[in-house]
Amino acid sequence: MALTETDVRGIADYARIALEGDELAEMTSYLNDAVDMLAPVLDYDLPDVEPTFHPIGDLANVMREDEELGQRDLPLEVALENAGSTRDRYFRVPSILGEAGDR
Amino acid sequence: MAQYIDTLSAARIAAGIKAGEFSAREVAQASLDAIAAREDAVQAFLQVCPELALAAADRVDAARAAGGELPPLAGVPFAIKDNMNLVGTRTTCASRMLENYESVYTATCVQRMLDAGCVPVGKANMDEFAFGSTTDSSAFHPTHNPWDTERVPGGSSGGSAAAVAAGEVPLALGSDTGGSIRQPAALCGVVGMKPTYGAVSRYGVVAFGSSLDQVGPFGRTVEDVALAMNALTGAGKDPYDGTSQDCPVDFCEHLNDPIEGRRVGIIPAFMEAEGLTPEMRAAVEAAARELENQGAELVEVDLPHLDAAIAAYYVIGPAEAFSNLARFDGIRYGYQEPDCANLDAQSSLSRAHGFGPEAKRRQMLGAYLLSSGVYDKYYYAAQKARTLITADYASAYERCDVILMPSSPRTAWRHGEISDPTQMYLADLYTISINIAGNGGVSVPLGLGADSGLPVASQLVGPAFKDRTMLMFARALERGLTDAATGAPALSVAPAFAGKGGELA
Amino acid sequence: MKELSEVLKDWEAVIGLEIHTELTTLETKMFCNCKNTHDAKPNANVCPVCLGLPGALPVPNKRAIESIVKAGLATNCEVQKHSMFYRKHYFYPDMAKNFQTTQGPVAFCMHGHLDLEVTGRGAAERPECAFGAAEAQSLASASANAVGLSTAMATQMREGSHGGALAGMSGYNTANLALPERHEDGSYTVPIRILRIHMEEDAAKMVHVGGEEGRIAAASESLIDYNRCGTPLIELVTEPDLRTPEEARLFMEKLRRIFLTLGISDCSMEHGSMRCDGNVSLRRRGETKLGTKTELKNLNSFKALHDGLAYEICRQAEVLEEGGIIYQETRHWEPGRKRTVVMRVKETADDYRLFPDPDLAPFDLSDEFIAHCAAEIPELPDAKRDRYETAFGIKRADAEQIAGDPETAAFFEASAEGLSGKPAQAVANLIVNELAAYLKGVEGGITDCGIAPAQVASLAKLLAEDAISSNQAHEVFGLMAESGEDPEKIVDERGMRQVSDAGALQPIVDEVLERCADQAQQYRDGNQKVLGFLVGQCMKESRGQGNPKLFNELLRASLS
Repeated sequence: MALTETDVRGIADYARIALEGDELAEMTSYLNDAVDMLAPVLDYDLPDVEPTFHPIGDLANVMREDEELGQRDLPLEVALENAGSTRDRYFRVPSILGEAGDR
Repeated sequence: MAQYIDTLSAARIAAGIKAGEFSAREVAQASLDAIAAREDAVQAFLQVCPELALAAADRVDAARAAGGELPPLAGVPFAIKDNMNLVGTRTTCASRMLENYESVYTATCVQRMLDAGCVPVGKANMDEFAFGSTTDSSAFHPTHNPWDTERVPGGSSGGSAAAVAAGEVPLALGSDTGGSIRQPAALCGVVGMKPTYGAVSRYGVVAFGSSLDQVGPFGRTVEDVALAMNALTGAGKDPYDGTSQDCPVDFCEHLNDPIEGRRVGIIPAFMEAEGLTPEMRAAVEAAARELENQGAELVEVDLPHLDAAIAAYYVIGPAEAFSNLARFDGIRYGYQEPDCANLDAQSSLSRAHGFGPEAKRRQMLGAYLLSSGVYDKYYYAAQKARTLITADYASAYERCDVILMPSSPRTAWRHGEISDPTQMYLADLYTISINIAGNGGVSVPLGLGADSGLPVASQLVGPAFKDRTMLMFARALERGLTDAATGAPALSVAPAFAGKGGELA
Repeated sequence: MKELSEVLKDWEAVIGLEIHTELTTLETKMFCNCKNTHDAKPNANVCPVCLGLPGALPVPNKRAIESIVKAGLATNCEVQKHSMFYRKHYFYPDMAKNFQTTQGPVAFCMHGHLDLEVTGRGAAERPECAFGAAEAQSLASASANAVGLSTAMATQMREGSHGGALAGMSGYNTANLALPERHEDGSYTVPIRILRIHMEEDAAKMVHVGGEEGRIAAASESLIDYNRCGTPLIELVTEPDLRTPEEARLFMEKLRRIFLTLGISDCSMEHGSMRCDGNVSLRRRGETKLGTKTELKNLNSFKALHDGLAYEICRQAEVLEEGGIIYQETRHWEPGRKRTVVMRVKETADDYRLFPDPDLAPFDLSDEFIAHCAAEIPELPDAKRDRYETAFGIKRADAEQIAGDPETAAFFEASAEGLSGKPAQAVANLIVNELAAYLKGVEGGITDCGIAPAQVASLAKLLAEDAISSNQAHEVFGLMAESGEDPEKIVDERGMRQVSDAGALQPIVDEVLERCADQAQQYRDGNQKVLGFLVGQCMKESRGQGNPKLFNELLRASLS
């Protein structure tokens, strides 16, 4: 079943990617092409095969000691250095619910 | 007679500095001069960092003057793909999203090169966030193939490959998620290696597909690549990357061992695949004959589940990419859309305007594939295909030491020649399954194609954590095909650039 | 609105809890080496990992994994050897990566239970009812829902052959549902099942500026402090087995005592290191089908947990009795106004796009690892309570209270060492009453308040020997806290020792009766109350040193 523009808009809303102008139509077309291309994989949902989530053989139980090393601590000015908007010691975002508070 | 940096391998540079033939500063300056003279035509770099380079070189010279033991790659200039953090440089991933992003920490792989004495000269261009195989999707500028500047260098690590092929640096780091080291290496005529997943730390490398990404070196000789592998893995697994593992071998140790009596796998289906150009096929066949001539036995092996590889890759890759790129919301770092009334608008517009088209496409595909109902259908199937493909390789390696196959179905194409994104995905046929299985692969240059006159190459792939064996075969090819013609490992600098700037004072 | 007790005569409340506990006793965060602390300046404890910088990778804290395994073992869970971390995606600035690293269908700990003993008034609120198969089914899906898993994930076992989570869910049947066991006095014991305890990372703290009382609603901007981002958190999800607010409170109290004993958290509800959300729905008594649930937030104290749930039950009953509909929504408890208000209406299930985190290797815990965790578990509160009851012979309620706090328990054991019966009970009384009251007024805790177990033991002996009265004990306690001196010395120096020798007290009684002949006559005429006055006169005459109980007896004997 092909994805509709409504479906694609829903995904874009979720993924926080505003689609503008022709982008919605282009994206819909792309996603349907891509999904078609993925069809061969559907034959592989075989009951006797375990999925491989980590391509690292038997690697398991990777843990570190509970030690404060301090080596990677970022000074405040460095932590905030790349932020588009800050206030005092904080990162800043605009109103979460919007001016109308409509969500 | 004037000596140019592009005639020297990394091994030769390090030896020369140790012997006092030239200083690290002279080498660094020569590399910077070569970049200055060649960049207009190649555009391999997004940022050149002369201060960092000269400071690192001066440290090497000071260490030598103090009589200390120099590290193995002391004074060797290298380029860094711009998805790797290095304090003192921006890390942009060739994206507007990170155009002004200052690295606040240094990636482990970069640090280990620095610890080995390497000198960082700049950050190399790439496809935006490593999504692509042309480097054309860089938000800033394309990179041109040094062998024909109207053509792409391949990608996504196209800047790293081109910088090495143009003789700007002897070594570069790239990352490979579905072929992003091996394919540009093939198209630019240099050696490019994707080590086994886990051999090299990913800490500090901006993630694309976490279960697929692997960092590896580019060089003009197999030995240089082996030296870089020693630098990258010698200190053992990285405590900051829980998926990294110890890789306790000296990659140079058996490099020149004969391959007599060893077995090389050939996958007939790969050689017959649609899209493989005759000259690429001829090159791989010539490589096979060369290995046979050196006493190796060719065996046919079969990877029966390989037809699922591309589909599995384009499920796993975008799913992980969506997740990894979710953090780019313009709050803590990255492009922030100005004057937004609320957070949703700020995030959605920052991402819409910060990311280029392919980055958006991959994330959208990933967000769709992970959604409820769809996830169960595709994701598990893809990970099961992964199990089967891995098992295919494992059983193939019961019959051979390495497998020889093409790296790319064709030589470098013109900018803009392939525009349909899903068509472009199919060109990854030969590289993708290695990332899915997590094994290593290395692309070895095999001279120029008879039809195109452009670099042709083949790929050697080996079992997990047998990357040294793979390099031994790569060296055998190099020894047989290029040493024989030139008397030494051909340094494969594209002729239009050889000797252009970069004279050692 | 009707009273809770009235409502619960007609309606059965089905309650489940989601309890988040920060592992505050760990040195570092969950996936990085940043300091794990509450009291730093904003954004002082951040690194590339917890700030979600490009290229950063997580590595799990071993002690966090040990802690959750201990939590599971202590709550009768099955520790799952095989489990994985998952990424749970939602775009919100308190998550630096816009996904939370948490667990999927299989958590480290699954299928536990805690037995609650419910006594007193609250015990009458629990309805008697039986469970049917239809009920089991609807509860099973409620459980799946509670952990944010898609239905598809919840019905398929997808983590390989080791995992038991969903097998457990589909195997959710009436056999798993234990019914309360009633005792003759109306009290009952009920097992409350724990669906799972999983490991995750906490979110950043946000400050909403410009809105009312720091609420998000009218805020003009929000500020983010990532210090808490990435701190280790365990989330316990109960099955919807609770039926009264009292049970919910008791469960929370019991869990808190266990976690305190394990030493995995300071369990401060006040500071948010232990947080509870409640899911509650109503159905008519005897009905098996579940009603629509609401989720309650801001239940930040035991009282808030009880009162918030009680309010919500009464509110839902009123809506339903008036023919209204309960909407699936998240509601906020406002303790000041004693009401819940709507925060968010859930129209569709959230799609968190969960998938196994490729940066984190799976876990395949060894028997040795689990045994090592088990060996580090100290005596748990229930066992300790039972031991105090039998070994020291103290009252169960006191034993429960003392055993629930590790420091108090240690203090008790040091004070009551070698004692049993009356002196041990005196120690318990002093700790539960005098010491607890004293600690409220001073800085510091039981270990550094300046009172030594030996002092309490000495005071308890004086009490047990009737050498001083309980009123005097209160006075002596204050003096010994102030001076640090031994109670015996205080009592002796101040001549407070109580005289309990009838021969010594009889002359005083005789003298008082002679002096107060009128009152003596009133008593003989049947006015019992006047006896208190006469005892007081005796005490005064003895300068407070006579045993008031003995005076009482001697007076009665003399007047009869």
